Amino acid sequence: MTTLGYALRRLGASIVLLLLLTLLTFTLYRAIPADPAGFLVDMQKASPDQIAKAEKALGVHTPLYEQYGRYLWRALHGDLGIAYQGTSLTPDGGRVGKAVAPAVVRAAMVTGSLVLGGALLALLISIPLGAIAASRPRSMTDRTILAVSLIGICTHPLVVALLLQQFPGNQWGLAPAHGYCSFFGTAGAPAKLDYLALSQDLGCAGPTAWASHLVLPWITFALFFLAIYTRLVRVRMIEVMDEPYIRTAAAKGMSRSRIVRHHALRNAMSPVLTLVGMDIGLALGIALYVESVYRLPGLGLTTLSALNGDVGFDLPMILGVVLVIGIVIIVANLVIDLVVAWMDPRAAESGLRRSAVGRVA
Amino acid sequence: MSAAAPTATAQDGLETRAQSPSRLAWRRLRHDRAALVSGGFLVFLLLAVLPGAPLLGKALGHGPNDLFPYAVDVSLKPVGPWSSVPNTSQVPDIDPNTYTQSPPPAGTPRTLFVLGADGTLGRDELLRLLYGGRVSLTVAVGATLLALLIGTTLGTLAAFFGGWVDSVVSRFTDLVMAFPVLLLAIVLGSTVSKNLDDVTVGGTLNRGVLSLILLIGLFTWFYPARIVRSLILSLRAREFVEAAEMIGSSDSKIMRTHLFPHVIPALAVWSTLAVATNIMLEAGITFLGVGIKLPTTSWGSMLAATWGTVLSPLPYNPTTFSPWLTIIPSLTIFVTVLALTLFGEGLREAFDPRGVR
Repeated sequence: MTTLGYALRRLGASIVLLLLLTLLTFTLYRAIPADPAGFLVDMQKASPDQIAKAEKALGVHTPLYEQYGRYLWRALHGDLGIAYQGTSLTPDGGRVGKAVAPAVVRAAMVTGSLVLGGALLALLISIPLGAIAASRPRSMTDRTILAVSLIGICTHPLVVALLLQQFPGNQWGLAPAHGYCSFFGTAGAPAKLDYLALSQDLGCAGPTAWASHLVLPWITFALFFLAIYTRLVRVRMIEVMDEPYIRTAAAKGMSRSRIVRHHALRNAMSPVLTLVGMDIGLALGIALYVESVYRLPGLGLTTLSALNGDVGFDLPMILGVVLVIGIVIIVANLVIDLVVAWMDPRAAESGLRRSAVGRVA
Repeated sequence: MSAAAPTATAQDGLETRAQSPSRLAWRRLRHDRAALVSGGFLVFLLLAVLPGAPLLGKALGHGPNDLFPYAVDVSLKPVGPWSSVPNTSQVPDIDPNTYTQSPPPAGTPRTLFVLGADGTLGRDELLRLLYGGRVSLTVAVGATLLALLIGTTLGTLAAFFGGWVDSVVSRFTDLVMAFPVLLLAIVLGSTVSKNLDDVTVGGTLNRGVLSLILLIGLFTWFYPARIVRSLILSLRAREFVEAAEMIGSSDSKIMRTHLFPHVIPALAVWSTLAVATNIMLEAGITFLGVGIKLPTTSWGSMLAATWGTVLSPLPYNPTTFSPWLTIIPSLTIFVTVLALTLFGEGLREAFDPRGVR
């Protein structure tokens, strides 16, 4: 099986799944008795005529399959519709409000800042830590690292988030305990970030404010993955260090640290990379916890507020988030598959899988 | 030893009796101190949560949902661990001049709050922890059993019959595993569980428990399905299965008597670890406002006690800051998950001592 064929097959399967996911979300929400017309008119007082007009403006008066088809067609053109929350009728029977696509992209930037920064932190610490633990298996250092990482795995990310927020954040005032500041823009202009006023309008912007508001979220996010990946890197390193080419390098008189850096680490990394790809879903789940506790207006919090509206569920918003997350996961996995196939053709064929332990998020 | 009982072992002391794999595993497990301590803790937890909660409630003289306005001070800060509180549901008057509570009526008995009060409502934290543990453990164990049931059935079918059943199950598993389970569970949970929340199976389950069990089970059955499928695929090629086929055993008999015993150890290990992750998942889903509904408590809702809800987070207030309300459920969840993990790892090593550490 060629790498390209492999990638194409995965892409095809992923697109089918993406369609299934949107279809599922779509039908589920339409199956709920609540009428989305309630977003535009007061259902208790409105006349049937007004309700019909509202339904027409929302586009929910047609059969389900037609709505779904129209949605897909517009989505293909980059238009994800207008959110239900905070929408209003125009005199000519149309509907104005917050456009979903830019809102979801903005939320994705927040989640992206959190996940990428946290993942970077986790990998930067876990790879050396795992390598150190693996260099002397069963030594005191190794056991200590293993024990600490076990504690990390067994600690709920919410617990870490809450404790960090309460003590260094609130009680000791070491870092901002909630809210988000956008990277771009200047500090003077208050950045309008909130969706349903979930995050306060902090009126801050710029790289320093951005980073300082993300310090605690990054640490929270990283701790969980730090624990998992330290163990993973350690196991892989122990396996790799048993390989004949390591013995050859040692026989040539290469120093131990050089062997680890040049031969062992590189070979240990490719399956770890595959798992990074597979863990994006898990990462977004953890991000949901982190975003809720620290009130970062990311994808997770956007979904939660779209689900928790007074009138009903904000379907366009939820569909938008599901679509964007699906696309990100598919693209990231494809890229990682290709990188791994390029780095280590054997890994692509064997298709390494995470052990069958469940996930916390 | 009397001469009237001549046993082979007593005579030469050399004969080794054949030992079943489960007996061997038990022998190894007995020497694993971490696993034993964890197992002991889990038994203790079960005892504390099931018969212990109502017994303690009786001993203390109040229940988990009873309100004690006197367990909260003027600024609404709950009393700390190990405080005794006037046993009355009467709301104290507040003197606006001195800003103090009026004393309780004379002769009011006092009652002990071992872990303090749970927040502005002044309920007993320890009792809520125990009753919440009931809910959390029911959800975790129930979801694990459901996942085992679905996963084992589908995994066995996929492995035994191969073909399109196999490829559909495996493909589906692969793809869904890449998506954020938590997000899907919350999206699905907010919509579907509204109809299921009131199903309590004649009052044996609390509100919302069944929908959480279904939700978590629905998103975790892939794991046992995978384990069963790969194990059975490798077992099917073995001689004893061929032999059983040759003497005319039916498919279902082969599955039940020849394949299944080999699958049980792996499933036991998975289940232990799954209960641990399900406890975390329950806490997460409830924390985010989709799982167990108040006034029923669970460890997830206790975690959220000082934090509030997604839509209305509580503001930080230094005068009412009560860190133990976060620390107590945090520690409980941590210790339970740690014990389950260690016990699961112990089981894994007991069943397969040659496996990678």
